[in-house]
Amino acid sequence: MFDLDLGAVWRYRELLYFLVWREVKIRYKQAALGVAWAVVQPLFTVLIFTTIFGIFARFPSDGLPYPVFALAAVLPWTYFAEALRRGATGLVSDADLVRKIYFPRLIIPIAGVTSPLVDFLFGMLILVGVMFWYGIVPGWTIVLVPLWLLITLSLALAIGLWLGPINVRYRDVMHTLPFVTQVWMFATPIVYPLSMIPQKWQALYSLNPMVGIIEGFRWSLLGTGQPHLQSIAISLSVIALALVGGTIYFRKMERSFADVI
Amino acid sequence: MSKDIAIQARGLGKRYLLGAAGSRNDSFRDVLVAGARALVGGGRKSAFKEFWALRDASFDIRHGENVGIVGLNGAGKSTLLKILSRITEPATGSASIHGRLGALLEVGTGFHGELTGRENVFLYGSILGMRKEEVRRKFDAIVEFSEIANFIDTPVKRYSSGMYVRLAFSVAAHLEPDILLLDEVLAVGDLAFQRKCIEHAKELQKRDATILFVSHNMFSIKTMCDRVIYLRKGEVVYDGNVPGGIELYEQDCRGAALSWTDTKPEEWPIYITGSELIDEHGVARNLFDFGERMTLRLHYDTRQAVDDPNFIVAMIRSDGVAACNYSTELDGLSLGRVTGPGTIELQLPAIKLVSEMYSISVLIRAKGFQQILCGQTAGTFHVRHHLFNTHFGVFHEPGHWQRVERDSAPRIASGQR
Repeated sequence: MFDLDLGAVWRYRELLYFLVWREVKIRYKQAALGVAWAVVQPLFTVLIFTTIFGIFARFPSDGLPYPVFALAAVLPWTYFAEALRRGATGLVSDADLVRKIYFPRLIIPIAGVTSPLVDFLFGMLILVGVMFWYGIVPGWTIVLVPLWLLITLSLALAIGLWLGPINVRYRDVMHTLPFVTQVWMFATPIVYPLSMIPQKWQALYSLNPMVGIIEGFRWSLLGTGQPHLQSIAISLSVIALALVGGTIYFRKMERSFADVI
Repeated sequence: MSKDIAIQARGLGKRYLLGAAGSRNDSFRDVLVAGARALVGGGRKSAFKEFWALRDASFDIRHGENVGIVGLNGAGKSTLLKILSRITEPATGSASIHGRLGALLEVGTGFHGELTGRENVFLYGSILGMRKEEVRRKFDAIVEFSEIANFIDTPVKRYSSGMYVRLAFSVAAHLEPDILLLDEVLAVGDLAFQRKCIEHAKELQKRDATILFVSHNMFSIKTMCDRVIYLRKGEVVYDGNVPGGIELYEQDCRGAALSWTDTKPEEWPIYITGSELIDEHGVARNLFDFGERMTLRLHYDTRQAVDDPNFIVAMIRSDGVAACNYSTELDGLSLGRVTGPGTIELQLPAIKLVSEMYSISVLIRAKGFQQILCGQTAGTFHVRHHLFNTHFGVFHEPGHWQRVERDSAPRIASGQR
């Protein structure tokens, strides 16, 4: 039962590479704007957020220009939402493969959470540009960004491992997911700072693992606040547990994928 | 030839649950509804119906053997291949595979329309389990085999279906597995390409590869295999030499319902109970020489009276080409009201079909080519001729040639103003 056969995943690592490569290639191939889409989307989101929350609602932004404050959180969030979506629905979108060809099924959610990283990288270029525009220089903490990214990926993968098999059976998952992601975004300090949450609610609020992660990104990129070690530790243990449990669950469920998908 | 075991199957079984909640795409709501019903219905267990697609299949296949998996539609052939290729797990039993396994259950699954031929070769290669380095090394050979070198940098969505399949098969053909599972994939592309594929499979055989081959084409089974495993309703009922397996298939084919009829055979108002092909001396045969005359005798029975049924007989060549067609209505026989068992005979003109294997399909339609009342197969036959094969087309009939004097040539202008 605990034979997770991760060796098989390793043997098929080139397939993982090609699936990611396929996703990236297809995404930009037929779009006239091509790679620019990776940049346009978060840029417009930030423009809207800045107008509504920054200018009209006058949300505080930790003493930073609101666009920089928002973009530093919108980019990782966009990555997370996309990784979550692809991680959970990849099995169904590749149903033909699942039905007709053998390969370790774990490859699909792993590829799903990996491919949106490319968008994130392009988005980072924009962030650097915007920071430069506002004259903000990142500190040494910027080297920790890959670490936060890895934690985000693990979280998306952990959830994908649970939701993917359920989605194979009940497509309700993919219909519910966009809605849940949207609610989740507003429960995470993206458009407002963590400091806006009343002190007595902060502990409860930090149970949302994305809170620590997004704050971590802001801290690494912009130097705001301090990473809250305790809530990060909680996030990490929850993610680790969900990841191991998810892998076991996934391996157990994958036996019937080809029959029910 | 090495005598090591390549595939060892012990008691393989696969069970599917049929019924409302066992079907695909059921949503969470269906489960809630079913759960509520079960509660209200006093905890009655569910309307699941068990269906064994494969049951207690055991066999050993040695390295270098070429085994045909034969049986009617729904006999469990594809399920068997899916289990052996690890796509799905068996409900009972186990299979052990010794060697690098390549499975081709469908050609081109994993191709992506937006990507070019070149990109797809790499993608598909890795999906089939090849290393990037390996694909790179074999790339030129793959493209050459596919005969579509000019289009290799075109997105495959612009390919014709033939080109698509050629490229996909070429990648698969270069997999060089020790054990190859093939599901009807040779039935693709034009005839010349099919030949090439069979040649390629023979090359694999020479290198002592093991091939498991599912097909309805008894010609391919004959040319490719040296052993047949015959499945009937999920069970292995025969495991032995090729002629014996083909014989069994032809027996089972007689009277079987055509796969594409959508009504239940048990409900057909009229149906075929038996059929014979006989020669001019009244002897039952299924090998005929080109130019012979044969007679097809069909025995039928009815569940209710049928007015003016239209019997249609079609000869389907082994590659799926509908070669010719006869109908009581077109040929001017009115059967009136039909009740109870009876026999009808079709005397065919001298056979002009080229040398090949044909299967006979019988359709009975209501008067005027309306609704299909019944669709069954009525056996197979072979036509023999030393020269006329499919390269000569579907049939051969001599034409009349003559040399024309210049004066008597028709005036081209005569048709114009």
